[in-house]
Amino acid sequence: MNFSLLMILLTPFFGGLLAYAASALHKSVRNIFFLIFMLIPFVELPVYLNKTVDNFYYLTILGQNLSLGINPLSSMMLLLFTLIFFLSSIFMMFEFNDRGEEGDLAVLELSFLEGAVFGVLLARDILTFFIFFELMAVLVFFLVGKGYKEAHTAQMKYITWALIGANSMLAAIVLLLFKAGNIGYTEIAGYLSTAPTSIVIVTFILFAIGFLIEASIMPFHVWTPITYAEAPDSVSVVLASVVKKVGLYLFALFAFSLFGLNLFSKLLPQVLDNSLVMYILQWIGALTIIIGTFIAIVQEDAKKILAWSSVAQSGYILLALSLGTPLGVAGGLLHIINHSIFKGLLFFVVGGVIYRTGTKNLPELGGLIKKMPLSFISMLLGIIAVAGIPPLNGFNSKYLIYEALIQKNEPILLTIALLGGTGSFMYVYRLIHSIFLGQLHEVHESVKEVPILMQIPMIVLALLALLFGVLPGIPMYFVSKAEAFLGFNPIKYNLTGFPEQPGLHAVNVPVISITFVAGLVVAGLLFYLLPRARKVHQLDNYYAGEVLTKDVKYNYSFGFYSFFDDIIAPFNKWSVESVYESFVGFIKTAGDYLRRVYTGNLETYVSFGVILLVIFSLIYILGGILW
Amino acid sequence: MELQETLEEGYVEILDHLRKRSLWMLHYCTACGAIELPPTITSRFDAERFGIAPFVTSRQSDILLVTGYINIKTLRRLITVYEQMLPPKYVIGFGSCTINGGIYWDSYAIVKRLDLYLPVDVYIAGCMPTPMAVLEGFRTLMKLIDEGKANGWKKYQENYEYYKENQRKVLKW
Amino acid sequence: MVKEILTLIFTPILAFFVGIFLLGFKRKMVARIHRRYGPPLHQPLLDIIKLLSKKENISHGVMFDLGPVMYVGAAILTVLFLPIPGFKQLTPFGDLIAFLYIMVIGSLGMALGAGESGNPNASIGIARALTLMLGYELPLIIAGNTLVIKYGTTDLYKFMTLQSGFHWNLFLLPLTAIAGFIATYGAMGEHPFDVVVAPQEVATGPMVEYGGKHLGLLMIGMAISTYIETGFFVILFLGGGANILTFILKQLGVIIVMTLFDTVFPRFRIENAVRYFWRWPTLIALVGLLIVYIGGK
Repeated sequence: MNFSLLMILLTPFFGGLLAYAASALHKSVRNIFFLIFMLIPFVELPVYLNKTVDNFYYLTILGQNLSLGINPLSSMMLLLFTLIFFLSSIFMMFEFNDRGEEGDLAVLELSFLEGAVFGVLLARDILTFFIFFELMAVLVFFLVGKGYKEAHTAQMKYITWALIGANSMLAAIVLLLFKAGNIGYTEIAGYLSTAPTSIVIVTFILFAIGFLIEASIMPFHVWTPITYAEAPDSVSVVLASVVKKVGLYLFALFAFSLFGLNLFSKLLPQVLDNSLVMYILQWIGALTIIIGTFIAIVQEDAKKILAWSSVAQSGYILLALSLGTPLGVAGGLLHIINHSIFKGLLFFVVGGVIYRTGTKNLPELGGLIKKMPLSFISMLLGIIAVAGIPPLNGFNSKYLIYEALIQKNEPILLTIALLGGTGSFMYVYRLIHSIFLGQLHEVHESVKEVPILMQIPMIVLALLALLFGVLPGIPMYFVSKAEAFLGFNPIKYNLTGFPEQPGLHAVNVPVISITFVAGLVVAGLLFYLLPRARKVHQLDNYYAGEVLTKDVKYNYSFGFYSFFDDIIAPFNKWSVESVYESFVGFIKTAGDYLRRVYTGNLETYVSFGVILLVIFSLIYILGGILW
Repeated sequence: MELQETLEEGYVEILDHLRKRSLWMLHYCTACGAIELPPTITSRFDAERFGIAPFVTSRQSDILLVTGYINIKTLRRLITVYEQMLPPKYVIGFGSCTINGGIYWDSYAIVKRLDLYLPVDVYIAGCMPTPMAVLEGFRTLMKLIDEGKANGWKKYQENYEYYKENQRKVLKW
Repeated sequence: MVKEILTLIFTPILAFFVGIFLLGFKRKMVARIHRRYGPPLHQPLLDIIKLLSKKENISHGVMFDLGPVMYVGAAILTVLFLPIPGFKQLTPFGDLIAFLYIMVIGSLGMALGAGESGNPNASIGIARALTLMLGYELPLIIAGNTLVIKYGTTDLYKFMTLQSGFHWNLFLLPLTAIAGFIATYGAMGEHPFDVVVAPQEVATGPMVEYGGKHLGLLMIGMAISTYIETGFFVILFLGGGANILTFILKQLGVIIVMTLFDTVFPRFRIENAVRYFWRWPTLIALVGLLIVYIGGK
């Protein structure tokens, strides 16, 4: 019995308890313990990279073995999540600096959240992952409550949806336990390959509901915008980069390792070369992309734009994964890595801006480029990555997804995906314009750059995005090993791009970058050889001869895309949220009618009892005669 | 030294020769004289064949056309716009009101001589000048640029205090 | 090898001069349609020389300066990914999809630079430009997908060689070509879709504070962009060309047909422009896609 995997799992729990205990001494002691225990998994993990180890630790409960194991897919995600948790914990130290007791609890909960995520990734049977999954949901529930004004509404929405998902998964787990008699992944996979069709379909749908709720796919996405927006900023990073990816990881693992594409094509009819359930999931992913993008364009809150953007990007990942080809799965896994990096970067920058200015409402911000230049550059790199423009990392994964769609001959889905890319350009420009460009408001005159320790997460993620973009071979190393584990033929790649292969045209990102730099040098030479430009004040603008004064707000920020809003206005009536709200209203009305039974009057209760007694005795007597 | 000077002069001459064929005017209609601009720009009296096109912002244009009478409110905006333009820039006084007040010669609200406040390169007389006169004015400006004599902007920079003094007297800045 | 590298270095210069010629030809043609003489053919070159020789320039900050630099740099990058007859340029390193994304880099740089100028007209202009981009990309993407399905490849050089000898897509897939043509109007900012640079409404939109050498660089970038966009249409639908002269002649043909419609239309409002793009060109492109999809199967 080797204990090292168990040590990886227990390190965050232990670290959290130690940090919470140390908070009784002093805040900085707590912070030091917190950060050290966030760094330890970096040391423990590299031993297990690209190894597949099964059934590493046994704990026997009620005759079933709870086991842990590691495989290339989990180790890739473990490494990524450790980095995100570490950077987010640096951020959390600043955010909860002057909140006293709440800060101590937040430190404890974030460490436990890391432990729960590790548990889900290291699980090798369906009960273990469920236990840690629920632990994750509870901890997120507590962490979200420490956020902004509407945090309590967000908490309620989140926990309701998490419970719906949990119950659906529990039903599937219990069904499988009774049918298969065992809970290990390999045993379940063996049972499912010979199971009747109805069992396979029912369990898959129940599991998919649970995972897709966590991954915020339509129509289960209604908790995402308000939860991401109202959570504290370090927790938003973890939500968007880690928690969502856990749902997608589980979906990939279950769909390809446990159930398997062969099973689906054997039992279900084929539609255009895909099994039916995968085809439906592709369309759900495409719908999520386009609707998420269009709603993100018309938001007025910085974090809501990022939340809706996360919804749209997980649509991309679902679309890619449910294609079921090596190209598609590689694109989906690469997009998981890239999305965690650049979405985390954007949430960090917005968090820094909120930390300094105190507001996340876009019409109130503006012109911060002169005060916070480093944040501007980090956000610029993040924006180029979200829009999928070379040479940053968003381009590589989106390129793989588009080429996979071309290979599968699906033009309508390709159109929707490309249109989503163009739309993402729109909302991402809105974000950087309303925060950093435009007119600087008077109240923000004394804003300084974020503290150096807070700049470190932004710089690390921005450089990582640039590195993974220019040299896509580095993340592809891990992705191809994970792809091989899931049972696909890994696609060919080299350090600088993808060589020519069937279904994929060659692309070489460093060539694009070097040519771009050469073009910039030529243009820059031409620019700087001409007479120097004199700096003028921002108020010295052409406004038909008028002289502008500082107290006039002429920043174009509110209703930036109001004409786009007019175009999609007829479709705003059809909102998923209104469906759920009408359902809730119906239940409330039914409950109202049912409540009238409780009149509080003793006579009515006694008469109810007598009437029911008469009816039942009649049934008993007559039933005895009739039957 | 001599060679460098002659090279520079030759360079400026060539540039002037090329520049005079691409003057952009600011489409900023200050007063009634602006009614003569559309006929000049459009089909019958085509000003675009000389490269003269109307542009909207002061940052992009070379010629400031002061069309018609100048009251004090307009003078304020004109000076702001003139200072926002990028040198080399030229001012054309359009109509008789810029020369000596025109038909408003006894009004209290009209500035009588534009020359005291902004350096004018070419005057176009008339009330209103016909499009053919406008085109003749443009051609005179082009000839002056070619000969290197259209230096209103240099005059403004060298006698800045003089112009500012005159402006302050009238505008109460 | 040396020939390839020399061609790579000379392509931006060629693109610049061809762009100047096309822009000048357009102005002359518009003038002739208006029954007047019009400026000489080399007028855009004179404009650029005048702008670059301004004695003083102003700037609103570093990002403001970097806007035109990024625009020209990205234009040079994009033109190197477009094949010309006889040379592959950099197409082995990037295909149609990479090209669609590379085309956007310049607009991003311009948008950021214009945003820093602090003029609300610039921000309105950029918001309109991005919304218009969403509008015209839909028929363009559908048209591109149709071609990808028909030829089974995404390589731009293969698009040219597979259409040689009058097998132009204009004749084989007329509906798709019409949809692509209307989308190119939006891409180039021609009437009736020039709401971005609406001089009477938003004071030339993003370029409101750009003058002097900044505007000179922008016009250089615009000349190269004209070459790129007409070249893109020629490669996709008009069969490339046997040699560089036929290529330029076909680009001139595109400009002529475009200008004929351009001069007689007024400007659409931005909502009407996007709604229009999502209605008729999209329908035409979808019908074209259906024909290829069903015919190919």
